[in-house]
Amino acid sequence: MGWVAIKMLAGDRTKFFGLIFGVSFAAFMMSQQVSVFIGIVRRSASQIVDVRDAPIWVMDSRIRHLDEVPGLPATDLTRVRSVPGVDWAVPFHKGQGLAKLANGESRSVVVMGLDDATLVGAPVEMLAGELADLHKPDAVIIDKAGYEYMWPSEAKSLAREGYRLNRTFEINDRRAIVVGVCRASSPFVTLPLLYTRFSQSSRYTPERNAMNFVLARAKPGENEQEVCRRIQEATGRLALTREQFFWKTIHYFLASTGIPVNFGITIALGFLVGVAIAGQTFYLFVVENLKQFGSLKAMGVRDSKIVGMVLLQGLVVGFAGYCIGVGLSAGFFTMTNTMTHLAGLYLRGEAMVGVAGAVAAIILFATFVSVRRLLVLEPAIVFRG
Amino acid sequence: MLTFAQEAASYETLDSNATAVICCGVTKEFGRGDGKSIALRGVDLDVAAGEMTLLVGPSGCGKTTLISIVAGLLDPTEGEIHVLGQDLRVLKGHKLVDFRGANLGFVFQQYNLLPALSAVENAAIPLIALGIKRREAIERAGELLNAVGLGSKLKAMPSQLSGGQQQRVAIARALGHEPKLLVCDEPTAALDAESGRVAMELLRKVAVQPGRAVIVVTHDNRIFDYGQTIVHMSDGRVVEVERGNA
Amino acid sequence: MSIPVTRIVLPTVAVMMLGFAVNHVASESRVETEPPPPATPPRAPFGLSVAATGIVEARSENIAIGSALPGIVAEVYVSSDRVGSRVAAGMPLFRVDDRHLKAQLAAHRATLRAQQAQLAKLEAMPRREEVPPIEAKVRAAESDLVLTSDALKRELSLRNRQVNTEENVVQRTTSRDGALHRLEQARAELALLRAGAWNADIEVARANVAQAQSVVDQDLVEIDRAIVRAPVDGDLLKVDVRPGEAVSTAPGKALVMLGDLKQLRIRVEIDEEDIPRFRANRAARACSRGDASQTRSLRFVRVEPYVVPKRSLAGETTERVDTRVLQVIYEFEDIRGGVHVGQQMDVYLDASTESQISE
Repeated sequence: MGWVAIKMLAGDRTKFFGLIFGVSFAAFMMSQQVSVFIGIVRRSASQIVDVRDAPIWVMDSRIRHLDEVPGLPATDLTRVRSVPGVDWAVPFHKGQGLAKLANGESRSVVVMGLDDATLVGAPVEMLAGELADLHKPDAVIIDKAGYEYMWPSEAKSLAREGYRLNRTFEINDRRAIVVGVCRASSPFVTLPLLYTRFSQSSRYTPERNAMNFVLARAKPGENEQEVCRRIQEATGRLALTREQFFWKTIHYFLASTGIPVNFGITIALGFLVGVAIAGQTFYLFVVENLKQFGSLKAMGVRDSKIVGMVLLQGLVVGFAGYCIGVGLSAGFFTMTNTMTHLAGLYLRGEAMVGVAGAVAAIILFATFVSVRRLLVLEPAIVFRG
Repeated sequence: MLTFAQEAASYETLDSNATAVICCGVTKEFGRGDGKSIALRGVDLDVAAGEMTLLVGPSGCGKTTLISIVAGLLDPTEGEIHVLGQDLRVLKGHKLVDFRGANLGFVFQQYNLLPALSAVENAAIPLIALGIKRREAIERAGELLNAVGLGSKLKAMPSQLSGGQQQRVAIARALGHEPKLLVCDEPTAALDAESGRVAMELLRKVAVQPGRAVIVVTHDNRIFDYGQTIVHMSDGRVVEVERGNA
Repeated sequence: MSIPVTRIVLPTVAVMMLGFAVNHVASESRVETEPPPPATPPRAPFGLSVAATGIVEARSENIAIGSALPGIVAEVYVSSDRVGSRVAAGMPLFRVDDRHLKAQLAAHRATLRAQQAQLAKLEAMPRREEVPPIEAKVRAAESDLVLTSDALKRELSLRNRQVNTEENVVQRTTSRDGALHRLEQARAELALLRAGAWNADIEVARANVAQAQSVVDQDLVEIDRAIVRAPVDGDLLKVDVRPGEAVSTAPGKALVMLGDLKQLRIRVEIDEEDIPRFRANRAARACSRGDASQTRSLRFVRVEPYVVPKRSLAGETTERVDTRVLQVIYEFEDIRGGVHVGQQMDVYLDASTESQISE
């Protein structure tokens, strides 16, 4: 009887497309919002994710998240190196500075100091210039979004004219020369990211202890978490794997900002709209077809089959709506991916899975409500004109 | 199909004009307390197989309630009802549904065709419900539609058919699985005189068979001539039974 | 009409959009690669090791040479072009302006000459020309005595003859005595003259000469101090002085750096927290910053017994770290190029326990 169910469903075009639209809308809204939410929250830890070449972060034990980093004494570096199981360790600096542009404007910037010799933590993808140029005096590499933020008047003509390298500005009265532009995950606060050598970063952001992180890697075959534990034991500092530090920062942002609530409301709204539109329309559809279902029941179609038919209809609507919804969502992110301040946000796999669950819930709910009408339906209704 | 054949065979042993439906003191009440209304007040009725029985009476006299009970769609408040030798009170749930599917056919006042299905697909539904494969069911439904004179309209959608044509599709649908009892609820009420006449002719020619009882509920006196037995109802009671009509 | 839309178009669209979404997710959430760092960081070469940083120094340690005198640099004998070349002990390196010292020397030399002349004068006495008048004066006195004696003798003989008066005799006697005394005086004067200068005067004059001489010598030393010389044989590590620059004698600024480059050593600073794990007389390896692939073997030399406050190697004077470090001296086992005095190196010290070593 499945084909009968589908023909019944498709027979009423208005409701059919209404249903699909409702589910699509809900799926679109939820998947898009969930993805944006995940993307935005992940931004709070994007500098952690961007360090691809060192999986262990050592920092002050009182730290709560990435942007709150007291300095470490210089000898901590050698102490971490001395811990058994540590393959290598290098210093890393993350601080904030105030950049003074040639035209007199000021910009807050995030300064990342990479170990002079190894450049551990360097950006992976360069859009212009060479990473090796970072060894030049006063050299900095800036991220794409930061470049556009620093020189917004050039953002429009970038595609045509490209990045202007070797331009200078000042941080903390020191000269900085842009030798490259890289791609980096957007930071939570949209500040430009400046990569520079460690020795130079301490001049840009004069702090008592310039090194606020030690980046390390475990020897091959060593368990990273075990090495972290050993580092903590030996140095008294907090040592976390990339994942752990990432989640620590994420949890801090989730717990201490209103972002989850805001997004939660929107996502719940999407769900409710989905339930309302899809559930309501589906219910109406079933109610309108009560007579036909009644006829089928009178003609000897069992209740289980009737329920199966309704479920199938729900499934078709749900699947089509879900597909279109996530497709729209993907389209949205594909279109916005070229916009700098939205870059890095994309449809998340977890959002797709979660939204599939939510759509299934919507469909089940709608089916459940409608099926109740069918099961208590007195077949005698079919006789009444 | 096999079960249907077996069951059909079991009824074959009965006299072809044996009693198909026996109602005994059937009472039906709706609601409770002050809102209680009594639809049937102890109906005793026998319906013979092999003929057409008309159930007539004014609106609200309980005709529809009675055939609903006969068709197993409603439980009587009191009284016994035997259909084709089966006590309906002992059949519950899907057994009742299966019994209906195998033995009963329905023709409704509003035809109740599924608007999304073509004529032939509509006619095939009871066969499919019985478990017959879709292609075979549609083939047989096509033959049935031929028999009711709609061989050229197999693929037509209900909305493209006239009322009379729709009712003929409904009749074909009701007869496809060769039910032992055909229940028709005001089959002509929504039709013009000519279409009504064609439908009734069709019922008399195709539906009335030996061993099959046909109950037609109507208040359309133009068709009284088609029934062999006319049962007059009023206020929940059978007031008169005319037998050997026409 | 409805069939193509619902049976073909819609499912196709739906499946295509799902495919698009899945593709989008798959392409965007690609597994992040874990590329190696741009340059390999230094790795611990031992099973258990103590990591530290060290500064390369010459075997002689690095001799920071300053100026003995403050002033303006007049001349630099080892231009910065000659950095790296060898210098012998005593070789002049640079000279501080010493004109005022030379002027002073001239003045003091004049004083010396004056004192010497004074001494010579005293030593040359008596003056020959002064003797004859005194001798003549003696002779005159002698003559006078002869004359008066003769007059007295005559008077006495006259008295014996009672010719004259007693008065005449006394007169003649007194006269002769006077001549006698005059002769004595003249003889004493001659003896005084003949004796020459007084010894004590000569001694005073000698002392004056010696004093003036030592002042001159002092000036010469001062002038010599204006020239800074290499104290030992060694290699010229750094020349940070140019003519015309003002230099002071304040410690801390090395104008010229000397060291013996024949054997390089490295001064390794071990964090005090790592001291318990440090073991003397063990192997160690050092690698240059920026090239962790090449490590160099080190030989243990000695432990500096005094634990010193950590001094920032980055040269950040503002940086204050309240930790102390144990300094340990190691020697490079092979002399290859590429290591320079003053260079910072990452050092790993073998800290394996005995059991681990026997394995």
